[in-house]
Amino acid sequence: MTGRLTRNLLALLVFVVSVFPVYWMVLTAFKPARDIQAETPTFWPSALTFEHFGTAVHAQGFWSFWRNSLLVAGGAVLLSLVVALLAAYAVARLRWKGRRGFILMVFIAQMTPWEALLIPMYVIARDTGMLDTLLMLTLVYFMITLPFTIVTLRNFLAAVPVELEEAAQVDGCDRPAAFRRVVLPLLAPGLLATSLFGFITAWNEFAFANLLIIKDQDDRTLPVWLSSFSNTFGTDWGATMAASTLFMLPVLAIFLVLQGKVTAGITGGAVKG
Amino acid sequence: MPHRTATALLAMALAIPALAACGSDDPGATPGEPQNLTVWLMKDTATDEYVADFEAAFERDHPEYTLTVQIQEWDGITEKVTGALASTDPPDVIEVGNTQVAQYAASGGVTDLSDKVGELGGEDWLPGLAEPGAVDDRQYGIPFYAANRVVIYRTDLFEAKGIQPPTTRAEWLTATAALNQGGTQGIYLPGQNWYVLAGFVWDEGGDLAVRDGDRWAGALNTPEALAGADFYRQLQALGKGPRDSDEAKPQQTDVFARGDVAQLIAVPGAAKLVTTANPELDGKLGFFPIPGKTADEPGAVFTGGSDLIVPMASPRQDGAYAVVKELAGERWQTELARTMNYVPNRTSLAAAVEDDPGAAAMAEGAANGHATPNSPNWTAVEARNPIKEFLTKVLTGTDPKAAAADADAVITAALNTAQ
Amino acid sequence: MLTEAPPARRPTSSRVVAAPGGRRRVLWPYLLIAPTLLATAYLLVYPLLRNVIISFQQFGMAELIRGGAGFAGFANYTAVLGDPEFWSVARRTGVFTAINVGLIMVLSTLVALLVVRLDRVMRLLVLGGLVLTWATPMIAATTVFQWMFQSQLGVVNWALVSLGFEQFRGHTWFADGPQTFAILVVLIVWQSVPFAALTLYAAMTTVPHELYEAARIDGAGGFRSFRSITFPVLAPMFGLVTCLEVIWVGKAFVQIWVISEGGPGRATTTLPVYAYQIAQSLHRYDLGAVVSMLMVLLLGLALLFYFRRMFREEAAT
Repeated sequence: MTGRLTRNLLALLVFVVSVFPVYWMVLTAFKPARDIQAETPTFWPSALTFEHFGTAVHAQGFWSFWRNSLLVAGGAVLLSLVVALLAAYAVARLRWKGRRGFILMVFIAQMTPWEALLIPMYVIARDTGMLDTLLMLTLVYFMITLPFTIVTLRNFLAAVPVELEEAAQVDGCDRPAAFRRVVLPLLAPGLLATSLFGFITAWNEFAFANLLIIKDQDDRTLPVWLSSFSNTFGTDWGATMAASTLFMLPVLAIFLVLQGKVTAGITGGAVKG
Repeated sequence: MPHRTATALLAMALAIPALAACGSDDPGATPGEPQNLTVWLMKDTATDEYVADFEAAFERDHPEYTLTVQIQEWDGITEKVTGALASTDPPDVIEVGNTQVAQYAASGGVTDLSDKVGELGGEDWLPGLAEPGAVDDRQYGIPFYAANRVVIYRTDLFEAKGIQPPTTRAEWLTATAALNQGGTQGIYLPGQNWYVLAGFVWDEGGDLAVRDGDRWAGALNTPEALAGADFYRQLQALGKGPRDSDEAKPQQTDVFARGDVAQLIAVPGAAKLVTTANPELDGKLGFFPIPGKTADEPGAVFTGGSDLIVPMASPRQDGAYAVVKELAGERWQTELARTMNYVPNRTSLAAAVEDDPGAAAMAEGAANGHATPNSPNWTAVEARNPIKEFLTKVLTGTDPKAAAADADAVITAALNTAQ
Repeated sequence: MLTEAPPARRPTSSRVVAAPGGRRRVLWPYLLIAPTLLATAYLLVYPLLRNVIISFQQFGMAELIRGGAGFAGFANYTAVLGDPEFWSVARRTGVFTAINVGLIMVLSTLVALLVVRLDRVMRLLVLGGLVLTWATPMIAATTVFQWMFQSQLGVVNWALVSLGFEQFRGHTWFADGPQTFAILVVLIVWQSVPFAALTLYAAMTTVPHELYEAARIDGAGGFRSFRSITFPVLAPMFGLVTCLEVIWVGKAFVQIWVISEGGPGRATTTLPVYAYQIAQSLHRYDLGAVVSMLMVLLLGLALLFYFRRMFREEAAT
């Protein structure tokens, strides 16, 4: 076995490698312009400035893009949690004909290269009058996150002992009540972890947001806006990094608020392969 | 904690039905209520004031409409415009680049405005704008404005070295080398400004692609084009332009505005962006046409510009035409040419800008104006531009012939793809 | 602070709740999966079918705008399959996926093994760092990488020059095919390791301690106990994570598109990027549809083995 010191040094290395890009982003966002333009980069700001955040926040429409992204990602995650929970229960707890086929379908659905479906999705949205609506975007993101949500929730459910549920049923609860009172609380970390994953996916999505929102520019989402940063900010890396930091913020905030549960959740969810 | 989370989730759930209400507005507006018209203009086509003035004036003159002008980015614009043309409620008027208008006109999604040509003064439209907008003698794209590149230079830096604006390429290299000293860059030329390269190639008698029957072939791997690329390489080395980027990343006017660059190749209107970013440079900027191989002819330039199109799917055709008529008409053309230093869409309006030094240099260069290969597929070449990569390879030391052959293969394939 | 390692969950039998008879009972599962089936049918299967139809049509910009696309038979398929470009892109996608997934699995296994052996403070530090990385949105991360590898002011060039590699002054990373490819690998591995490492770490904590004790008594070293205990016990877990990573890397699009748009040349064009280019830049939606259908097929083939095993396992539960 390697010595304790070596292990700790390695751990430190892993930490630095994983955190450095994020640190660099946040640091650049707070650095005064002269530090950013300096030939020799500084790893600690000579002074903190909020100027770049000001530039980013005052960029036209910033807040409405933020709100749109939040609505779309939040809506999609919520929808997919509800739908996936039902399906996951059926798969994890009940025995029925076609169950294996269903699981396989979910797994294959996870493989979909979504960018390939841009054009058919566009045509469908157009023909049903859903172009330029956040609802269409929400539905697409819901579908993108659904398969993964089912797979992970199913694993979480499988990890909750059946005996608990049976005991509750013996105590006179019917099955939905037993589920609500016994299983759901135990499932909370899993639900949170899964929803966070879905949220990140939807929060990031770019291609559909770019094509399905055409004329209603106020309905654009953050990734679309951020991807055009070079046009929005030119060489202004400070503002770009500030915008990226703000973009990361909600995900980080949810993480911090839910911290323990989520880590337990992320890790617990996939345990039963 | 679970309760609080649940409440938050519930709040979000309640917000969802509200989303459905964000749908597109009803095209068949009730009579009496003004119809809302949407116009797409490209980024940097006009100033914010011009747009605001136009919106206000249009709504005043046409009370039956309200007007919204949306500014679009060039990045990924063909996807956007295609998506708009195919939709059921598109914007009513779209500005499209003159190298891109042909494919939209050919797609069948654009309104045929042939019977309005006379009314719009089409007899003296600039051919570089009118021709790409026409398919089979039907006019789909209406000329909007044109511009070509000139050299914007710092008069103070030139004077300090006692240098006169050059008139030949050889003089240009000597002058730029002399300026490229100390903390000053002789010229800021990013590695991927392929419009500039195109000019050098035309100067040598070459072209980007040539047509033989109905087959197109990329023509970069020819002695003429390689000579043009070599001149580009010599010039580019006299400054610190990034070799792997184009003029928009970073925005070249911002770089120029920092004050340590002596020359920039851009449309004259860019000078305004420079002085806005750095007012200290006001009065220190001059213009000269891109020098040619000899003093008796200026360097070849790409005639850039835009056309206006009306999507056929727009249910507000009358309103759309009203907008086109205003934008292509004398008042707003003159105004646009003055504000942005453009060439107006009609030769009869050229007087509007003749007293402007930038426009004068541009007009001089325009005498040797060229267009990109006339194929509706040209947009496909621009969308993933092999010429930019060719330039980067040449500038970073790859064998130019091999790089040119690679680029030609891509150009040939793109131009011969059936649409 | 992040919590301690998650409680070791004893893998419980996923024994199925007894379902006493009655028609309602039989219907229950189908009612529960009905919303999923409906959503999948409308939002996935239907668009997929439309895509299949498009792949058999002559479908370009004009057809998208005006409709009325004509039937083209297998012409699009023969066009794509007969194009050497397609095969070279497919091969590149395979190499790209293999390199990335290989690195991700090795690194995340090592990280997970390391974390298990750390004491509390260091463990929380590393887990915290991993979670932070995992939480960084893809677009933000991609933008940061562009900034770090920027030629003039990028921190990477500065670091290399400071280390004495003078040739990296103003080095243009994104002008060179293999280098851009390498940066994309670094980016994707950096983004993917946290999920894999956290998952594997959690799984490792579930391996009963007694097994290691026994192995140690038998004189097994670190590597042998990994090979003879950790790996076999966690084999299904490794399978699942590898499978997920193959899917995610194979269809990675946004990172590549934002950083290089598949260039320079074709150096970083993988199948999803290729499909997008053909469809969106060349406006050959029909050919784009063909490429995407073939890609689904290829991914399916790559994972066929795993699917078969999963199918059999499901039968056993």
